[in-house]
Amino acid sequence: MTTTRDRELARPPLWRDVRVLRVLGQIGAVLVVFLMFRWLIGNLLTNMDRLGISTSFDFVFGPTNFQIPYASEFDPRAPVWEATLVGVKNTFLSGFFGIILASIVGLIVGVSRLSENWLVARLATVYVEFFRNIPPLVIIIFFGAAVFTNGPFPLLRESWELNWFGTDNVFLLINNDRWGVPGFTETGALGTFWIIMAVGVVVGALVWRWRTRAFDATGQPHHRVLWFFGVVLAFFIVAFFVTGTPFEVSWPGLSENRRRIDGGFSVNWGFMSVTIALGLYTASHIGEILRGSILAVHDGQSEAANALALSAFQRYRFVVLPQAMRIALPPTINQYLNLVKNTSLGTAVGFADLTAFTKTSIGNGRPAFQSILIMMAIYLSFSLVISLILNILNRRLQLVSR
Amino acid sequence: MKSIRLLAVFTALMLIFAACTTEDGGGDATTTEATDGGGDGGGDGGDGGDGGDGGDDVDLTQTDTLGDVRAAGTLVCGVNDGLPGFGVVDADGNYGGFDVDFCRAVAAGILGDANAVEFRPLTAEARFTALQAGEIDVLIRNTTWTATRDGQEGANFLFTTFYDGQGMMVPASTGFTTLEDLADANICVLSGTTTELNLTSVFNARGIPFNPVVFEDNSQLRPAYEEGQCEGWTSDASQLAAFKSAIEGEGGDEQFIMAEIISKEPLGPVVADGDTNFAQAVEWSVMATVQAWEFGLDSGSIGSYDGDNPNILNFIGQDNFDPGLGLAPDFAVQVVEQVGNYKEIFDRHIPAIGLQLEGSPNNIWTEGGLMYVPPYR
Repeated sequence: MTTTRDRELARPPLWRDVRVLRVLGQIGAVLVVFLMFRWLIGNLLTNMDRLGISTSFDFVFGPTNFQIPYASEFDPRAPVWEATLVGVKNTFLSGFFGIILASIVGLIVGVSRLSENWLVARLATVYVEFFRNIPPLVIIIFFGAAVFTNGPFPLLRESWELNWFGTDNVFLLINNDRWGVPGFTETGALGTFWIIMAVGVVVGALVWRWRTRAFDATGQPHHRVLWFFGVVLAFFIVAFFVTGTPFEVSWPGLSENRRRIDGGFSVNWGFMSVTIALGLYTASHIGEILRGSILAVHDGQSEAANALALSAFQRYRFVVLPQAMRIALPPTINQYLNLVKNTSLGTAVGFADLTAFTKTSIGNGRPAFQSILIMMAIYLSFSLVISLILNILNRRLQLVSR
Repeated sequence: MKSIRLLAVFTALMLIFAACTTEDGGGDATTTEATDGGGDGGGDGGDGGDGGDGGDDVDLTQTDTLGDVRAAGTLVCGVNDGLPGFGVVDADGNYGGFDVDFCRAVAAGILGDANAVEFRPLTAEARFTALQAGEIDVLIRNTTWTATRDGQEGANFLFTTFYDGQGMMVPASTGFTTLEDLADANICVLSGTTTELNLTSVFNARGIPFNPVVFEDNSQLRPAYEEGQCEGWTSDASQLAAFKSAIEGEGGDEQFIMAEIISKEPLGPVVADGDTNFAQAVEWSVMATVQAWEFGLDSGSIGSYDGDNPNILNFIGQDNFDPGLGLAPDFAVQVVEQVGNYKEIFDRHIPAIGLQLEGSPNNIWTEGGLMYVPPYR
């Protein structure tokens, strides 16, 4: 009898039970959010219906009907989703190379900021203050207008051609519109070649692990980088001859009417403006993050490295940077995401990225709401994939406290 | 982990949206039909339709833009602010141009005051969204009337004020005279315009390879063209003429516009679908300028007309002749006195950019042009 009473006392009535209230609160929040979206979307659909605007997504299977800049291989009769993919490809390439450029320049700038060389440190400071305080759009327009449109480079038909040492092959074709660099053309079983190369990389990774283990066990120098590349190179040579010259270097050259670049790989001025501008802009932020992270590594670490008579390079490479990277990675992820999102500013210099494509598409009669929804979904998945990859990396790099 | 969860939430939202689309697509169609049927019935019974609008719940399906514009006292007009001859802003911030004058004509017709216009500069891409959202009442921004825009953008195209066609401009020094001379060339074009589609279809039909270089507005396009990044510039012939005179006037290279016109570009005012009364009021305000021209009336003479042509007397609202367009009986007088007739508007802006009225489709029908309006009686 008493025990039941105790239990009743211990459990307050439902409307005052914290556990119940918590659940109710969650359900309420979900309901509010759901109703809000339902109301917003319902409103939108009513209004679109009133104006007779279609809410269907079928337009993505219809023909595109317009040509995409600097994508001569694209057939304008292809469906809209294929054209969207060309835009996605351009956004991806610009983001990818931008991130690489920003990381390299950012690392140099960040380390230089702390250099004991007065001039180097001051130059790095000027760099950071310059790029950090100018809006990225302005930098992009500067590159587009001052470097390419009005810049020092000649017209396409009068391109500068730099020959590969001692041959007639052009390895760099420079003008104010598109630059040509050497590329590869498929001449054999390229698929088989790539499969063998993939196996080579896996074997290389295994060799890497074997060397690491040998080093841990015996203390012999591991030379794992050399070993890895040695294995991959061996596979490359074998694969190249087994598949019978699967590809050949193709050199860029002007077409007969001097309006096209045939062969090689060409990049257009919009792409270069966006990638370089955003790379340099983001590098200034990454440099600052790195500087802060290096300063955050305890002084004792550098002092210990000095006490071991490590050189300045060794001190950075083996003691300071590995610890600074752990601190720098999360804010750097943000900068990478910003860079990818900022590529949408490229419309200002005629860069045919996803945003430019969507705008053109809307201007040519495709429904605005659905097109923008698709664009948002693509950018969102871009950003989520980047942060997913880097978050996994981040978790693996963090110190494990036991 | 967080990313995956976010992805899941986003997918769920998309699913909800998709579900809503299918559900509402069917449901709403029937309700709208029902309401429309009821509304029509009431209208037929007697002209009490307007009175019925007092009920707030009717506003969801029926809009009264004419009443809204009158209540606000200003007409919001979407225009171009960077196209010489058609819509430009001068150093003092005043709008001027052919399209801008038609905004003024509509304001004079509906409100009796040509200055009661709020101009809203719009890019080519933003214009239909602005119209759909009701940010602007009327769009007069060198907008080509096409079937897709009429059908899918919720737009209602009215009387064509300017018959244009797409042309191609090249620097005169190149000596190019046909599109074939531009094989593989970079061609500058503005994004979000019908010219982009025409360019692709014409060049593809003739098997000429080309590379479009797409810009958002002419301030970015023009330097790229002048510096030779593009060998050709395609746009409406009127725009090309305007930029040709601007470039040559500012000391640039001599330009050449190819004789070939590769498309039909009828430009005119646009209103949102679904409000016939407002569309009628806009259309007749615009057409009054052509009718006045046909009658030989201009801004100086329309107010002091003392003849006895019954058609003209009706037109200027003598004896309060009211065809029931929702406009004041003397709206035509207001339009022509304050803005001018079609020829006056044309002469004010278009010859300055190098295009002539004589011999063009924009001449009055009695002289072989296409400017022909229904009789006002």
